[in-house]
Amino acid sequence: MTYLTSTLAASALIALSTSLSAETIGPGGESATPSSSVVVSDDQVAAVQAAGYSAALLWHDQSDFVNAVTAGASDEFARLGIEVVAVTSAGFDAAKQRSDIETAMAKSPNIILSLPLDPVTSAAAFEEAKEAGVALSFLSNLPADYQHPDDYAAIVTDDLFQMGKQAADALAAAMGNEGTVGWIYHDAAYYVTNQRDKAFKTTIESDYPNISIVAEQGISDPARAEEIANAMLLKNPDLGGVYVTWAGPAEGVLAALRANGNSSTKIVTLDLSEPIALDMVRGGNVAAIVADEAYELGRAMAASAVLDLLGEDVPPFIVAPALAVTADTVVEGWKKSLNIDAPASLSSN
Amino acid sequence: MEQALTKLRNMDLQRSVIYFGFLAIFLFFAFTLHDDGFLTSRNLTNIVLQTAPATIMAIGLVFALSAGEIDLSFGSIVAVSALSAAVAMQSGPMILGVAAGLGAGILIGAFNGLLVAYLRLPSFLVTLATMGLFAGIARSMTDLRSIPVINETFTGIFGSGRLFGVPSLVIWTIVAVIVGHIIYRNTRFGAHVLAVGDSARAAQVSGIKVPRVRLMVLTLCGATAGLAGLLYAGRIQAAKYTMGESDLMTVIAAVIVGGTALNGGKGSIIGALLGSLMMGMLNNGLILMGLQVSDQMIVRGLIILLAVAISLREIRR
Repeated sequence: MTYLTSTLAASALIALSTSLSAETIGPGGESATPSSSVVVSDDQVAAVQAAGYSAALLWHDQSDFVNAVTAGASDEFARLGIEVVAVTSAGFDAAKQRSDIETAMAKSPNIILSLPLDPVTSAAAFEEAKEAGVALSFLSNLPADYQHPDDYAAIVTDDLFQMGKQAADALAAAMGNEGTVGWIYHDAAYYVTNQRDKAFKTTIESDYPNISIVAEQGISDPARAEEIANAMLLKNPDLGGVYVTWAGPAEGVLAALRANGNSSTKIVTLDLSEPIALDMVRGGNVAAIVADEAYELGRAMAASAVLDLLGEDVPPFIVAPALAVTADTVVEGWKKSLNIDAPASLSSN
Repeated sequence: MEQALTKLRNMDLQRSVIYFGFLAIFLFFAFTLHDDGFLTSRNLTNIVLQTAPATIMAIGLVFALSAGEIDLSFGSIVAVSALSAAVAMQSGPMILGVAAGLGAGILIGAFNGLLVAYLRLPSFLVTLATMGLFAGIARSMTDLRSIPVINETFTGIFGSGRLFGVPSLVIWTIVAVIVGHIIYRNTRFGAHVLAVGDSARAAQVSGIKVPRVRLMVLTLCGATAGLAGLLYAGRIQAAKYTMGESDLMTVIAAVIVGGTALNGGKGSIIGALLGSLMMGMLNNGLILMGLQVSDQMIVRGLIILLAVAISLREIRR
């Protein structure tokens, strides 16, 4: 649950709007701009290189996901001749994040890329950087009362609606567009998971008339996934598929299916996980995994901050595409999502 | 010359380790990072500000360890205290917030102390259990929500304010260290703490009320954690259940490196201050060096390991 752990910390995330529309929307209801359209052109590179900018990457935690975002940002900064002067991890600690910002400010960076841990606690933490005119590009979360474009360059996040929709499409395809589904959603007020979960449900209900969601169960503790799945299967032994909110609890659901000798119920989940992907490539229960393009998130964050420094109009809310990974595309998908090679166990199967 | 050498040999090496270690690390960063802002007054002030809550928690822990006890729950106390203060100030005045925050810390500390002193339960196990207990309570207090602190008087006194140009967190640190040092070195209570830590039986025989001392040191631990919670709430201008969670190892390391014995009878408030500043300096310097996060963790871990090993070796002598 690489991305989830990172974004779960962001309790009330960006879009303080909780209603679900058919697309991912920003904090003030801004429509999403695809990350592919946020580019520092070749004509602008010379000006950026001449300016001698520097950047600090002040993350909330460490994970494959953060490494991939860092790699995307660092490669873009390298292309533009921007020095990365500090990289930190707050370990989900709001006080440490504030300390990291203060420490990095000693090197006077022109750009800060960060995932604010929490809208409330981060508001004061980024104040000094904001006042100093640093170009702030935020990942998935926004400090309370920060206004675009005066206070920050952009928020960059996943296309959350597309992640849920692609999960629905993949599960429907694996079930032959008919049957019954169990929906295991994240039972907590977290924007990222809530948006993805609802997008899955909305898509199944609106686009697949021959598929019905017959069981719904919230989960807040991934360790309870196996018992939740067992109860769901007991009541609905003919489930054609199960949607699981992220890969961590999906491992518990998979264990329950295996323990029941069930090889027919399909699983679809979100965020890359080696055990889940291994089951998929071995032709097990897992039909597909939907991931984000973390490397692209990092590139877009870097580009948005640089464009802001150049005085360009930067869209306030930028989304990177979702990526459905199947057994046939797992090696390419892993590389595209996390910018690292797929684990040997997956590429050798 | 001979006399000087003898004097040097007779120095309390245990207490000297932290001074030499602190100086060595400071000089290393001063030379290697002099172009990277390490020596700027703003950066050096930042180190003190960032370590203020840990320093204050370390003072409480010096008393507990010196009495042969330990408190593992102070991280959870920080969160409960900060949240109590923030919630109280949502509808009440600052004084209510301060009372709620400090009161929560003192009450939890006293709860730990009563279990240890009068039920004779080991403090390690009691505070291990209450660490989980109060971490859960902190989570449930506000359903995981962060609570903003908008009382400007509070955030000024406990966070971002200044008095005669001196940041309030620096003042809190100085006052806490001076008061802690005086109580530890110059009062009967301080002497009793050390006597109990050295030998509880001997202390009992000599008329010291050992359970009362144990109750007091753990209550003091709770009080300092409560104050640290207020400082976090003032500095971040918000309270959250995760506050203090990551401080446990940092504070224990700071206290041990500062020359306090794990098994009681020996300690130093000034050493704990330097230990805490050393931890902050390491965090700060390794970031300014531009190391990757994993490398920062490895180097920090190795340096702390070395410092703790040297300190403990001297304590055993």
